[in-house]
Amino acid sequence: MYADKHLVVTRTEAPIGLYFAGEIDVTNSHAVAESLCNAAMDDADIHLDLSGLSFCDISGIRSLVDAAEARQTGRLMLHGLPDLLQTVMNVIGWSDLPNLQICNCRGAR
Amino acid sequence: MSTFPAPSAEKFRHEALLYAGWAEFVAGTVPFIRDGVRAGEPVLVVESVDKIEMLRLALSDDADAVLFADMAEVGANPARIIPAWHDFVSRHGGTGRRLRGIGEPIWKGRSPDELIECQRHESLLNVAFGHGQPWWLLCPYDTEKLDEAVIEEARRSHEFVTEHSHVQTSNIFRGLEASGAPFDVPLPEPGTEIGRMAFGPNDLAAVRAMVARHAQAAGIEARAAELVTALNEVATNSIRHGGGNGTLRVWQEDSALVCEVRDRGRFDRPLVDRERPAPSSSAPRGLWLANQLCDLVQIRSLPDGTVVRLHMRRRPQQHLRVVPEIN
Repeated sequence: MYADKHLVVTRTEAPIGLYFAGEIDVTNSHAVAESLCNAAMDDADIHLDLSGLSFCDISGIRSLVDAAEARQTGRLMLHGLPDLLQTVMNVIGWSDLPNLQICNCRGAR
Repeated sequence: MSTFPAPSAEKFRHEALLYAGWAEFVAGTVPFIRDGVRAGEPVLVVESVDKIEMLRLALSDDADAVLFADMAEVGANPARIIPAWHDFVSRHGGTGRRLRGIGEPIWKGRSPDELIECQRHESLLNVAFGHGQPWWLLCPYDTEKLDEAVIEEARRSHEFVTEHSHVQTSNIFRGLEASGAPFDVPLPEPGTEIGRMAFGPNDLAAVRAMVARHAQAAGIEARAAELVTALNEVATNSIRHGGGNGTLRVWQEDSALVCEVRDRGRFDRPLVDRERPAPSSSAPRGLWLANQLCDLVQIRSLPDGTVVRLHMRRRPQQHLRVVPEIN
């Protein structure tokens, strides 16, 4: 789906969604929206497996939030969040949004 | 009889209480709390655990109506104190209800950097609450243990000062407008740098790697990811708002690893690092996050640019425990 020097995004089939591996920062956070757009998934819930992320900054989280808010129906389900990423989402006030669900599991794959 | 007449003006009242010894502390705080409780005002006391214990005893049944918080915890990073007061005022001060607070952020044992940031915090309280609803914050200062210069600065950052049970307007209070300003004074130069790197828009990963390496070497592996996350946001600000590049410097102080970012940006919102972002807002969040993750954040805006220093202690908070006082 997407690849640069620091981030690889691949499609997952069961559940349907995307797997992120590597680092997201302001230089590549556009990849979140692009990958979701390119994946052209329908209106059902989309599962994002973040267990392969070793780093994600606020711009990366903002991209996830924006993508979730842009959806008409269906949620973004986040799986395998590293602990610190979950803490950061809490601290900056983006852990309790209607279309963005944090699942306490080790990853969807 | 109360020694604390209610303030006449309907505005935020920021008052320093200069005390020497337990007796003066009690005489200055207990009637203040009791008057608030009996008037039905919510009261929050942010003090050391030993002072809280003593106040509970002195207040007896009235203590049940008072909220207490440990300043060593709330104010470990002094930039977290204003958000705590904001929470108190917004949670308990609905419909313009009067409130009272006691907060003692400065004690002997604060490091020089912490002391500077505590003093900045005291000044910023005027900016944070000076235009809002009326409430009364009393800030005790221990004149026996603190330097005269610290007491002098308290007279500049507080509009009112109580001394020997006598309250008066401070004639050297710097005023509301100037209270946002004291962040254009340069920070002292560090000792020996152990790392330096100029960075541009494509170097964020290298910046993170360098900070992670120094955190490992300094023995703060457990907090390396937090420091890297905070520093990355500061460096991102340089790239987006600070001229597109910056300089990272790293050094060690007695108890902490310090990372500094300098850039050519200007900084004109003194409260930006201590305003809790609303979920729906697109407000900046990087410096807020840095304050929640790091032990101390120092921000200065100077004629030639902006400086941000992040401090991460090797042993978090250990020396922040207020030593029980022997009397």
